[in-house]
Amino acid sequence: MSLLKTLIPFDIAKGLALTGRYFGRNFFSANRKKVRANLKHITVEYPEVPIHLAPRYRGRLQMLRDEQGEIKCICCLACERICPTQVITIEKGRKEGRKLPYPVRYTFEMERCIFCEFCVEACGYDSIVLNHQFELATYNREDFAHGTEGEFQNMFKPTPVGTFSVAGEDDANAPHY
Amino acid sequence: MFKNEELEINLGPQHPSTHGVLRVKLRLDGETVKHCYPVIGYLHRGVEKICENKTFFQGQVWTDRMDYVAAVSNNLGWAEAVEKLLGITVPRRARYIRTLLTELNRISSHLLWLGTHAMDIGAMTVFLYAFREREEILDIFEAFCGARLTTTAFRIGGLRDDLPPGFEAKVRAFLDRFLPCIDEYEDLLTENRIWKKRTIGVAPLSAEDCIAMGVTGPVLRAAGVAYDIRKAFPYAAYDEMQFDVPTRMEADTYARYQVRLEEMRQSHRIVQQCIDGLPEGAVMAKLPKILKSDVGEVYHAIEAPKGELGYYLVGEKGGANPYRFHVRGPSFVNLQALPMMTEGKLLADVIAAIGTLDVVLGEVDR
Amino acid sequence: MQMTPASMTIVQTLVMALIQIVAVLAFIFVLVPMLTFAERKVIGYVQVRLGATRIAGGRTGLTGAINRFMWWMGYFPVLSFFRGLPTFMADGLKLVTKEDIMPAKADKFVYWLAPIICMVPAFAAFAAVAFFPGVLGHFPAWVPVVGGLPVTGYISNINVGLLYILGLASVGVYGIVLGAWASNSKYPLLGGLRSAAQVISYEVPLTLSLLVPVLLTGSLNFSTMSVDLATKMHPLAIVPLFIGFFAYTTCGFAETNRVPFDLAEAESELVSGFHTEYTGMKFGWFFLSEYTNMIVVSALSSAFFLGGHYLLPFGLQNFVPASWGWFAQPHLIFFLGKVGFLLFVFLWVRATLPRYRYDQLMNVGWKYFIPLTLVNLFIAGVVRFIA
Repeated sequence: MSLLKTLIPFDIAKGLALTGRYFGRNFFSANRKKVRANLKHITVEYPEVPIHLAPRYRGRLQMLRDEQGEIKCICCLACERICPTQVITIEKGRKEGRKLPYPVRYTFEMERCIFCEFCVEACGYDSIVLNHQFELATYNREDFAHGTEGEFQNMFKPTPVGTFSVAGEDDANAPHY
Repeated sequence: MFKNEELEINLGPQHPSTHGVLRVKLRLDGETVKHCYPVIGYLHRGVEKICENKTFFQGQVWTDRMDYVAAVSNNLGWAEAVEKLLGITVPRRARYIRTLLTELNRISSHLLWLGTHAMDIGAMTVFLYAFREREEILDIFEAFCGARLTTTAFRIGGLRDDLPPGFEAKVRAFLDRFLPCIDEYEDLLTENRIWKKRTIGVAPLSAEDCIAMGVTGPVLRAAGVAYDIRKAFPYAAYDEMQFDVPTRMEADTYARYQVRLEEMRQSHRIVQQCIDGLPEGAVMAKLPKILKSDVGEVYHAIEAPKGELGYYLVGEKGGANPYRFHVRGPSFVNLQALPMMTEGKLLADVIAAIGTLDVVLGEVDR
Repeated sequence: MQMTPASMTIVQTLVMALIQIVAVLAFIFVLVPMLTFAERKVIGYVQVRLGATRIAGGRTGLTGAINRFMWWMGYFPVLSFFRGLPTFMADGLKLVTKEDIMPAKADKFVYWLAPIICMVPAFAAFAAVAFFPGVLGHFPAWVPVVGGLPVTGYISNINVGLLYILGLASVGVYGIVLGAWASNSKYPLLGGLRSAAQVISYEVPLTLSLLVPVLLTGSLNFSTMSVDLATKMHPLAIVPLFIGFFAYTTCGFAETNRVPFDLAEAESELVSGFHTEYTGMKFGWFFLSEYTNMIVVSALSSAFFLGGHYLLPFGLQNFVPASWGWFAQPHLIFFLGKVGFLLFVFLWVRATLPRYRYDQLMNVGWKYFIPLTLVNLFIAGVVRFIA
């Protein structure tokens, strides 16, 4: 019996049958309108097909403005203090017609950020969020510097914050991609 | 003319199968390994020293980056060690969710191990099949805490947020799908004669040697020692869970493969129990505004996917950060056994041995 | 068998041979890159991913148009597989245009010679391979020099064709060993040593399994053998032919350094084995020769064991009644289909199986395949005796 087992490679045939089955199934049915559960193929054709991020996804740090367009941040420095990698630097200042302190400079050095969301957790005024941007690579180190003033106005870039705040039932039940 | 020369080669730090930046100095006589010397430290960041300068709250993000394929386990160890030091009791619901995520993380870590180990031995396809399931687990992590790899999943005293809507359905969908997937890996490997030849009797490490070297985790259990911290010193919600500790007597690579596959099944069982018996209630304990420790020291060990992950913390009076912090990383300790497992064997066995030890260099070097 | 008509002049013979050689070379030079493309896609589909789907370039111009067309192909099930087909040209272009780096301490001449030694025998083997055992067609009369002459399905009908192919196959390993040694580097050296031992020990069962067709037909001529094996076999011959097919194909895997016997270039152990230090087109020649060898092995296997140019394998063609018409006749398409299927098997196995260890490979060769092929040879002798 064991001699027969050695001579006839059933074990290898079993593996080949599995991979062959996958190949056949994918070859004859794989196309773009796949559903993940059917296991056609799991590749996401990324730049063309958008990726479905979870509502809690932690992307780039973004500052928020209130309804009047004012920066919500009031320079309590909680985020600066809690940040484990010290990437946030805030310069406190005053602005005409604003009672609360105003961040003259809010520098966020993204190249060292570890996206832990502690800053958002520490913020008592909901003035910052981690948005859903994840395409953060750039060619220059300088592009990683984010701020509120002058040439660094990129802390307010329009981002899909809406999906962040409304984590609906639908959102969570949708297929993965 | 017939000079008998030994060939010294460096396996790594840039090599397709050293799983990161492990460098192994090998002295070869033909294909036979005469001497094996692992060189580590290429990824050293000084995590222990850094954590001593961070508050208890901040320290967790550094544990993510030690064993980055099992970040949730590392988070759990840190959170529980600090809670032990500060004397915080975690609500039951939080403990259940922690257990759930940690077990999912064990599955994901074992899947990564299975994929890369099989890839080292030459079976390419298992890698992609394993990553297919791992992807779903990472999606679950993303839904829970917003990150896939460096999760920072827990907080001192519980969890930051409760489960997001739709989380349970997602986990249940994964659980329903997962067991047949393990059978698929087994179809490709378990019976396969080449896989058996490459693993049975390869890189043996007896129970005595394991204990002498401090090796823990699946490697120890594959040598017949049923030592699992989840059973021996239950933490989180493991005392309320029903599960078995799989062991094998053969103490070789094949036994470790079987143990890990069985552990995935047991983890599946635990996750099922967690999701079925999830209690209601708060997920965060009442904490003071600023966490301050008292004088004291704790050692808290958990069963990470790779073995015993211990955190040793010393607190000083009124300190917001640990006075001394030390990690007993399973990968680091397990890696010690590599020379013992490979000397006198063939070059290809070194690859199998590195794979079967399941080392993550982020944790070895810290 | 039809030989070259004696009425042809020397010039006509040479021109005819040249045309055939060019045709066969073109066939190989297209098929090999296609094979690399197929390898990506087959393994990709096995591993539930997509494989190559697009070529480099932007969204504009020719590449953009091609990419957009391939994107559209992705909406349809089977068409989706052929996305990324232009990558085979891109791959070739990349190999040709890449910088050629030579290690400073390499033995220059041998380093340069090795890829050639590897490649030339692989191509030369096709001289004796009969793509079709007879006349494929005639040149139209208006063609200068060779007008009206018959075109045979083989370049030359050597009487010892099989011996010639086996001889060339064993030369190829010198290229690997020399290349590995000339690189003056440690990983290639180990790869080359492994490869030498492997090819030498698998040559024995390979030849022994090919002796079965030789014994059954009593010929070494490629065309004669493939025709006789398909049509003139005793029914019992299916047993030795089946075992021979299994043994030959498996040893062919070892001979061409493919998974599960790809120790010479085991990337998880030896980085990439004997061609670690090779770049550009020098690496390309090694690459080309490996794939060409795969085609040779597939061609031999399908010609001798799978019925070659006939429909049914293992000598079952005997049972096909003449009433089947087209299916009862030999056709080039049958042969090419079988070769294609065997090439697919090469890729399929690569996606599935782990790799043997060096000593285990030797064990399998000497303790499993050599006894198996010897017993098979004995069975073939018995069949021959009965017939």
